[in-house]
Amino acid sequence: MLLALIRKEFLALSRDLHGLAALFILPVIFIILMSLALKDVYSPHVAQLQWSVLDEDNSDASQLLIAEWGKNSGSPIALPDNWEKAVREGKLSYVIRISAGAGEALGKTESPDRPPLLLIAEPAMDIGVFSALNASIQAAAIRARLGLFIQMAAPGATTVTAATFNGELLAKAERLSLIKASTITSVQHNVPAWLVFGMFFVVTTIAGLLVEERSTGCLNRLLSLGASPLTILLAKVIPFLFINCLQSVLMLAVGIYIIPLLGGDALSLQGVDYLALAAILVCISLAAISLALLVATLVKSQAQASTIGPMMNILMAAIGGIMVPTFVMPASMQQLSHLSPMNWALEGLLDVLLRGGDLYSLGSEMIKLLALAVICICLAYLLFRFKKS
Amino acid sequence: MLSLNNIYYRYPKAAQDALADVSLAVNPGEILGLLGPNGAGKTTLIAHLANLLPLQKGQISINGLSLQQLRRKSPASIAIAPQEYAFYPSLSVRENLHCFGAIHSRRDLAARIDRALVFSQLQHVSQQQAQTLSGGLKRRLNLAIATLSNPDYILLDEPTVGVDPQSRAFLLDAVKDLAATGVGIIYTSHYMEEVEALAQRIVIIDHGKVIAQGNLQTLLAQGNALLSFEQIGLSPETVGQLLAPFGQLQTPQNLLLNSQNTPSQALSALEQAGARISHAEFGRFNLEQLFMKLTQRSLRD
Repeated sequence: MLLALIRKEFLALSRDLHGLAALFILPVIFIILMSLALKDVYSPHVAQLQWSVLDEDNSDASQLLIAEWGKNSGSPIALPDNWEKAVREGKLSYVIRISAGAGEALGKTESPDRPPLLLIAEPAMDIGVFSALNASIQAAAIRARLGLFIQMAAPGATTVTAATFNGELLAKAERLSLIKASTITSVQHNVPAWLVFGMFFVVTTIAGLLVEERSTGCLNRLLSLGASPLTILLAKVIPFLFINCLQSVLMLAVGIYIIPLLGGDALSLQGVDYLALAAILVCISLAAISLALLVATLVKSQAQASTIGPMMNILMAAIGGIMVPTFVMPASMQQLSHLSPMNWALEGLLDVLLRGGDLYSLGSEMIKLLALAVICICLAYLLFRFKKS
Repeated sequence: MLSLNNIYYRYPKAAQDALADVSLAVNPGEILGLLGPNGAGKTTLIAHLANLLPLQKGQISINGLSLQQLRRKSPASIAIAPQEYAFYPSLSVRENLHCFGAIHSRRDLAARIDRALVFSQLQHVSQQQAQTLSGGLKRRLNLAIATLSNPDYILLDEPTVGVDPQSRAFLLDAVKDLAATGVGIIYTSHYMEEVEALAQRIVIIDHGKVIAQGNLQTLLAQGNALLSFEQIGLSPETVGQLLAPFGQLQTPQNLLLNSQNTPSQALSALEQAGARISHAEFGRFNLEQLFMKLTQRSLRD
């Protein structure tokens, strides 16, 4: 009896090609993507960051400092005209500002009034990378000062104290931000990331609902009553838009109120443009729901809906920077991440929550998400009509 | 009158027509029994009427208006009660009625829901989730939803499958009551006694074609003259040629004898041509026997 049942299970499995594909092919893709995405996670990745120099000193010392910094961080790019905007929007990771008189200040033993070297980082920079850059710029300043002392003074002619080589007095890194948040914490990164992930999980629910409507005959009944395929599809948008809004409020509230109760840092919404936040959340929701409707018209059974939906979400999250931040990925994977709708959504949210983004600065992410929504709805409608006939 | 004329339909990539030259008509207040083995084309025919399949060839009209015109003017004038429980299991009975009723129109919605509840005698479970209802109650809800839009015609696809005798009796009475109010009904079922009890006229289709049509008495009278036989040795074409003088060959195994001929004459003609007759039946039929004769005993997909 047991053998007969085992045989039956094997036969049933062998005839569910979509299920088997989900069980074998998707995990293989997942492993490949994650392995590539995490390839450089344990090696320094500051060298991959785009940086530039604002050299107000323009001295031999400043040129030496730039050359030294470039040895570990790659070549700088030309300073854009509006470099502050580029840094604020994350298009440029950081700018090293060398103040006028920096060479002279570094060559003296006295501590300067304010650090002559300033590393200005993008607002959404990962806290680990930011700390590493801060330490590096201070170390570079100390090395430069030491080098200048060796060049300029005879041995024993210079009196140095502990403060002479205090890196914090010579250089510091700071984030460029319109947000008044005092510090950027992990919760500022995690809440947007997992909010996006959660919002896209409507794919499974919507696909399951449509499959159930189809299998029970409800869909045929609705069509026979004169409901058009487009009406049936659009009717799902409003309720799930509402669900996504609730998800957003709940997850932001968890970041603000619950995480601090558990000993973590609170999510800060100080200085956030709420209109821009609402707009990007609506765009994310519309993209997620439309993608869900397309999947719903493609799948044929509950089993497919409950397998393909989550797997698709995990893959989009893996390459989109939800599970692994894109800055730790190799360059090729970073390029690939721009194809994931979850990446557009995450970048949009980070723009608003960390970079002080407004409606205008969110333009490209919102357009991409809305374009995806329109394309998916159109394809879903065409597929629905095709299947109906 | 709802009339279908010369309907053809072929599914994409199918080798043959699912419907081939099907014509039938239903009058207001009439119950038309639509019979056919599995795969005969009943569901395809109903799907056309329910606006679920586009018309490829032929014409469907109601009182002179084409189906497309009628759908634009009054989409819910033809309602369907599918074989499946076509409602939302997590909604209550009343919520389901509200949902489907509102899709048709919000006008008099509360009154229409109350009427549907009374008609189906579901008032006592109106707040109950549909998924918790018994099989009989589910069938009643399925039917009640079809009546919500006050349709001119209702398509009932095996409305009594899986119910107890009491519920079946109730449903059959309900169908008669609906017809008595002037609603034309197309009733499909595999329970021949139901169709015999309800339908004024019957259409039998097989392989996408109408193979018999008429009122019950006429069809059964046809059965009185139907010679059914199985033979070995002759091709269907030869059988057709040999039996043409004796009556109308409905299938290669069924001959509707002319009144002046006898069964033995027809069978003798076959035997003289070299056929060996292994089985022959002739005589009075009930609907089930007639159906089996016309559609053959071989199992269907």
